Amino acid sequence: MRFYFIILAVCLQAGIWFPRPVFALGEASKVVIPQIQYRGGNYNPRPHAAESLLAELAKRTSIEVKRMPLFLKPGDGQLFKYPFLYMGGDGAFEPLNEKELKTLRNHLSYGGFLLIDGNSSKPNSPFDASVRRMIERLFPGIPLERLQRDHSIFRSFYLLNQVVGRVVNKPYLEGITTKGRTVLVYSANDLGGAWSKSKLGHWDFDMIGGGDRQRKLSLRLGVNIVLYALTLDYKKDMVHLPIILERLRRVNPK
Amino acid sequence: MNWLTTLWGEEWSEYNAWELHWAPEAWGGTFAFLAVLIVLSLWFFWTSLSRIRSPWKKLFLYALRVVTLFLVALTVLQPQLEFKKIQPLKNAIAVLLDDSKSMGIKTFPSEKPRGHWVRRAMENNRSYFEKLKQSYEVDFFFVSDQIDSVPLANAVTAYQESAVNTDLHQVFLDLTKHYEGQSLQGVLLFSDGADLTQDVPGISPEFTQTLTRLNGPVHTFQAGDNQGFKDLAIEKADAADFGFIHQPLNIEVTLSARGIGKKNIPLVLKEGDKILVSKTVSLKKADDQYTAELQFTPASLGKRIYTLSVPVFAGEAVEVNNRWSFEVKVVRDRVRVLHLNGRPSWDSRFLRETLANNPKVDLLSFFILRTLTDDVGATTSELSLIPFPSNLLFSDYLNSFDLVIFHNFKFSPFIDKKNLSNIRNYVEQGGAFLMIGGDLSFQGGGYDRSPVEEILPVRIQSDSKKFLLGDLKMKVPLKLSQHPLLRLESDPRQNVKAWESLPPIQGVNIGLTPAKGAHVLGMVREQGKDIPALVARQVKEGRTLAIATDTSWNWNFLQVGKGGSGRYYQKFWENVIAWMTREPETDPVQVTTDKEKYRENETVRIHFNVSGQDYIPLPGVAVELVMQTLPRGQELVRQTLKTDEQGEGHFEFHPGREGFYSAQVSLTASGEVLSGETRFIVFSPQIEYQKPLVNTDLLQALSKVTGGSHHVLGEGTRFDELSFPSPKVEIKSSSRMVSLWDSWWTYGLIVGLLSVEWWVRRKSGLS
Repeated sequence: MRFYFIILAVCLQAGIWFPRPVFALGEASKVVIPQIQYRGGNYNPRPHAAESLLAELAKRTSIEVKRMPLFLKPGDGQLFKYPFLYMGGDGAFEPLNEKELKTLRNHLSYGGFLLIDGNSSKPNSPFDASVRRMIERLFPGIPLERLQRDHSIFRSFYLLNQVVGRVVNKPYLEGITTKGRTVLVYSANDLGGAWSKSKLGHWDFDMIGGGDRQRKLSLRLGVNIVLYALTLDYKKDMVHLPIILERLRRVNPK
Repeated sequence: MNWLTTLWGEEWSEYNAWELHWAPEAWGGTFAFLAVLIVLSLWFFWTSLSRIRSPWKKLFLYALRVVTLFLVALTVLQPQLEFKKIQPLKNAIAVLLDDSKSMGIKTFPSEKPRGHWVRRAMENNRSYFEKLKQSYEVDFFFVSDQIDSVPLANAVTAYQESAVNTDLHQVFLDLTKHYEGQSLQGVLLFSDGADLTQDVPGISPEFTQTLTRLNGPVHTFQAGDNQGFKDLAIEKADAADFGFIHQPLNIEVTLSARGIGKKNIPLVLKEGDKILVSKTVSLKKADDQYTAELQFTPASLGKRIYTLSVPVFAGEAVEVNNRWSFEVKVVRDRVRVLHLNGRPSWDSRFLRETLANNPKVDLLSFFILRTLTDDVGATTSELSLIPFPSNLLFSDYLNSFDLVIFHNFKFSPFIDKKNLSNIRNYVEQGGAFLMIGGDLSFQGGGYDRSPVEEILPVRIQSDSKKFLLGDLKMKVPLKLSQHPLLRLESDPRQNVKAWESLPPIQGVNIGLTPAKGAHVLGMVREQGKDIPALVARQVKEGRTLAIATDTSWNWNFLQVGKGGSGRYYQKFWENVIAWMTREPETDPVQVTTDKEKYRENETVRIHFNVSGQDYIPLPGVAVELVMQTLPRGQELVRQTLKTDEQGEGHFEFHPGREGFYSAQVSLTASGEVLSGETRFIVFSPQIEYQKPLVNTDLLQALSKVTGGSHHVLGEGTRFDELSFPSPKVEIKSSSRMVSLWDSWWTYGLIVGLLSVEWWVRRKSGLS
């Protein structure tokens, strides 16, 4: 009996010190970030961005990830295996056809999430124009709006009050919100460029402007975006609010 | 007249009178017009005969025309001969005895009920009525808001002050209808005049109109008076029919106090013997009506019975109106769900969205966003994370939740192991616990040999392989497909198809075997073996469920991708919440009544539907039915009944008296005691006590309008001086109408006379 308790205690301690299991139950439970493979333009200017973000998620949070490059066409039915989608680019791309639009619209309307990342260093790039045209057709009648500072994205893990990327083309995020849920977020600040790390552990791209702090904030924003997709407005539950508001008040006394 | 009846083939002996009838419309204008027309036509006809020399011929033609016109006039006047038999009719007198509840109110100082004076008057005047019967048809009626005929012999013995409403206008309407075609020459009304419908002083115009249609007088006899009247009453209590558990409920109480004086009285609200709230009401001499508001918080679900009461003072006219019982159906406002997630995942994201969007759910969720080994690269103040309030949730507030979900959640290091026994106790006392699979659940969560395992519907084999990965189709046993958890469609076949249409899950926890008394509702098949994936169990008062996968979100999102919808996913989770929180419709034993409220002496039809814990109907089993009064729990019936081939049964109960009752059905199946209960109310309206005072004005007005007299009943009241008209009235018992014009010979004679006239005129050279 005594032996059993010793074993149990050791196991429990091990559980505390090494609580992360080897893998989650089922591939479907792990977070994978597929990239949208559209026609025309460059759909993969930051080849390591998604994997680098997943690595940061695995390192910083309890989320189970599966780091594998995955590219899916916008009309592919396989999209519904992956609720979180990433779409990067730095140039104009061909408009999506109706089938692709319908598939993507259904994906986002019924629980999916799309992060669009403008990887150009210029503010009004051809990619930006293509993205806006696509969103207008994707959600006609729903405007692409700036996300307010009290949006859950800015408090889903880190408390953030700045929006940056590798560059700061637009110091804000834009998004499509439907039925109380933000289903699409557009950053024009090359988040992928800030996240992207080679297999040897070197940053692929230098930051423009803010240096390491800007990269740190970009990584935090990336983590927050994924956490928002996974937990929605969880951080707006009443149980969190007093502590969050107190911490925000300390960071920004005004 | 014998020859006349013989002419129409009738026997005169059957009749004793005859009467000639004319078409009523022939009179007046038509008749006058016809008379003028006949005179004018005769005059013109006479002048047209001037060319005829022979006065006899002239006279003959003129006579023909006169007879013809007479016959034409006869057809217009439509005469009919009526043979009839008439008999003299006996005039009637109606004696009305008010048997409403207010007649049971005491009078002072004798402390005898008002009805006592009626009984006494009937007994004292029996000889008067016997004498009256020689000249009149004397009918007795008990009256309230209707009339019930009663023989004189039973008028005293059967008299009971029990009718629940007084409406004298309706009584006289019914009386008029009853005596239609008869000769009602007078009414004797014995009443306190406490009519609930007459608001104006005296009587309403409509009532007056009804009274004027009566031939004879209405003599009124007032039972009791208002001298020394003292009564404290709960006139009304306005409370909602249903309330929410743990939410305050308001009651507005109307009290009346007459002759009580200046006093402070307690108004008490109880459930059973437990006082919930009380309030002091200050009575003043000047006021006789008071309102008070009470607030209480229902603590238990279901149909609850509450009783308001005020003290009974010595000498009160009515005691039963010092209490007022009412029923409130207490339901959950929202189901409080504690959702703990071991880590953010798509499964937890979709379930959280489903729960958060369910208006019936009050959700508190926690995600473990980081572990001790995670390197967040930030200070605590830069994070939105809050400490997990373990002690608060699992020792202080655990009982405030209706459902606790561990979603791929490993309790260590977040919950102290000693608090796991709190979860076990919480379930055993009626809570609900759901464990959703994943690598941090079951064995992965360290729940084997813990207090949680004791309540789980599965036993954990800690030394086995923990997971089975791959596309796995969840199968539900056909015979269990009507289990409330599995009911995606109401039709059993459609339900099986609905489950078959769901996409596969992508892994299950293995090494789990059903616990004793658990039911495997869903399984996956691998290498010829069924692996339990959805297992439910009743644990004492509570319920537990194990879903051995964290990929049920496939039934939602993946289904949409395949062109379907997330409808079944939503329905499944609605079922889970309903079953786990013991919504009444998920009880295996269902007991219902055909109504919720019954009048006194009405038959209560009880229906029960018995299933096992697996929700498979139990045909031909013995169940015990117990009928009890509430809140005292006095047993009225205990009977063993058998269910039919559908597992159903019926029972008829005759409660008789007003009050609250419960019907409980219980049985033992597979070693477990199953039971169900329903409650119902048998009521007898107390509205009679809302206007308890004797209404002398009304009784006096009644007699005045009809030319009758008003009396107050006393010990020696005699009716000898009462008088009633006695006109001679006859009644026709049989008759036969014979038409004097509508026959072949009338028309034939007209045509014949005109033909003869025409022929004579032609012979005389006239056209």
